[in-house]
Amino acid sequence: MTDKEKKPCAIIVVGMAGSGKTTFMQQLNAHLHSKNKPPYILNLDPAVRNLPYEANIDIRDTINYKEVMKQYNLGPNGGIMTSLNLFVTKFDQVLKILEKRAPTVDHILIDTPGQIEIFQWSASGSIICDTLASSWPTCIAYVVDTPRATSTSTWMSSMLYACSMLYKAKLPLIIVYNKCDVQDSEFAKKWMTDFEEFQQAVTKDEGMSSEGATSGYMGSLVNSMSLMLEEFYRHLDFVSCSSVTGEGMDDFLEAVKAKVKEYEEEYVPEMERMKEIQRQTKERQKEAQLSKLMKDMHVSKDKEDVGLTVSDAEDEYNGELVDPDEDDGLTAEDREDMIKQYRVALGISDDISDEKLLEMLTERMKQ
Amino acid sequence: MVKVAAFVCGVASSGKSTFCGALMSYMKSVGRSCHLVNLDPAAENFEWEPTVDIRDLISIDDVMEELDYGPNGGLIYCFEFLMENLDWLNEEIGDYDEDYLIFDMPGQIELYTHVPILPALIRHLQVTLNFRPCAVYLLESQFLVDRTKFFAGVLSAMSAMVMMEVPHINLLSKMDLLKDNNNITKAELKRFLNTDPLLLTGEINETTNPKFHELNRCIVQLIDDFNMVNFLPLESGNEESVSRVLSYIDDATQWYEDQEPKDPDRFEADDLEDDE
Repeated sequence: MTDKEKKPCAIIVVGMAGSGKTTFMQQLNAHLHSKNKPPYILNLDPAVRNLPYEANIDIRDTINYKEVMKQYNLGPNGGIMTSLNLFVTKFDQVLKILEKRAPTVDHILIDTPGQIEIFQWSASGSIICDTLASSWPTCIAYVVDTPRATSTSTWMSSMLYACSMLYKAKLPLIIVYNKCDVQDSEFAKKWMTDFEEFQQAVTKDEGMSSEGATSGYMGSLVNSMSLMLEEFYRHLDFVSCSSVTGEGMDDFLEAVKAKVKEYEEEYVPEMERMKEIQRQTKERQKEAQLSKLMKDMHVSKDKEDVGLTVSDAEDEYNGELVDPDEDDGLTAEDREDMIKQYRVALGISDDISDEKLLEMLTERMKQ
Repeated sequence: MVKVAAFVCGVASSGKSTFCGALMSYMKSVGRSCHLVNLDPAAENFEWEPTVDIRDLISIDDVMEELDYGPNGGLIYCFEFLMENLDWLNEEIGDYDEDYLIFDMPGQIELYTHVPILPALIRHLQVTLNFRPCAVYLLESQFLVDRTKFFAGVLSAMSAMVMMEVPHINLLSKMDLLKDNNNITKAELKRFLNTDPLLLTGEINETTNPKFHELNRCIVQLIDDFNMVNFLPLESGNEESVSRVLSYIDDATQWYEDQEPKDPDRFEADDLEDDE
């Protein structure tokens, strides 16, 4: 292991509005500094006004959010989306900077825009996740507002959304129950592991609600939900944190270590497998196009035979001149263009003579 | 008098406002009474001028400047302000009898799933103003191209549905873009609109890590239990497509009351066939 080049772990921090995402980043940053392991921080939220920590790379340094809204005549949502898209066009430069810095840091932290769906559903969000994941071990930290999640329906929606994130990004996922100084997250763990406990909580919530009609509907959802969550829970880690008191940061870093291991053991082979599938698909497409090309060349070769016949006829009329090119239906110029296109398509250099080219193509057709 | 409220929801750039405009155009053209209600304080521009506009009550630009909020905080503040001033909404909405209101909703998922504002607003319309609600959730049809994206989209739609607890219709928007996509055939398209969960499981297992296969099965079971797999195609620029969607909304809200439901118009021969 000591011989292997050290790779930092990229942590993409996402979460709903008000879940304490940026505050969590601040606390994590302070915690890592106190351990003499300063992280490398990217801020991808162009609309944030005050960052409580200093970002090494900040989208606001290169893109002016308000100017984007003005120029493109966009509202706040469109402005964030467009800013992120513009930033992604330069993301290769960001990657180069990260590659230079990678040997000196243990963690790369990425703060995302507050509108979670802008990051999750846009092409730029996918590009960022995929490019980071192809270079370094990457995981997603999904920050949950624990006090709000005490409501069973809100908590169910959070879990469904976290599962949605898992499928969209296809990266290891850590759920961070934030604000645990206000509300202990033990209830959430119980709900995820004990079906009856969760059902009792739902029944209790129903009793408090004046909407008695939802009883059957909610009960039916609970049955399916519990089965899914028990399965879902096996695939993720969760930690309790408080961005205010700093509690739980070590637990989070331990979870990150586990996810790095999971990334290397499972996600890397999976990515290789998908790359192989893609390569094979491209290979088949290439062969299909080549086959079509050969068919075209075959037609051209037949016309050559006709030309030879005309040439033979010329010998019979000794002394009388006949131009064989006219009978081909192609001018010399057209023929030259066609051969040129074939050369380009097959990647054959111009150094090879036409005669040699035909010979090579004939051999390929036989294969 | 029957009063219908259709809430058009979906993530940013899923085509909500375009759909609202198309729906308004169609309903006007067939002589039905309808009004557009804009509840997105950050909305940019409209094909139709809204009859009721939250920006008349409060503007997100004002909130962001005066209170130094970002876009998200500003939006939530606007809605909290609205909930404290429901009398304004009652006055704006209450004047129209035999009403069909189309609500253009904001794209932020938080408002549906994490902040108890929109569910409370919907209940207010149901209980206080006697509206029959229907949620219309738009999912961009490009998600069909990738199976796991489709799963993520379905879960997101379900997340919103769970909180709103009203009749729910799912639409695949921007279908005209998908028709030009050579990567997906019409046969595949039909299978997504009337999906067999077992087929979904088989297909998604091909592109995911084997350790997730059990989770895939559980999610498909969940999706199947709540009939979330059925989507309607939507081309906002196609009048017949819009009229078909409208007939589904009418069914969901029992707009016809005792009348028999209107048979949806068949698409043209070269359009998608209706397998239902």
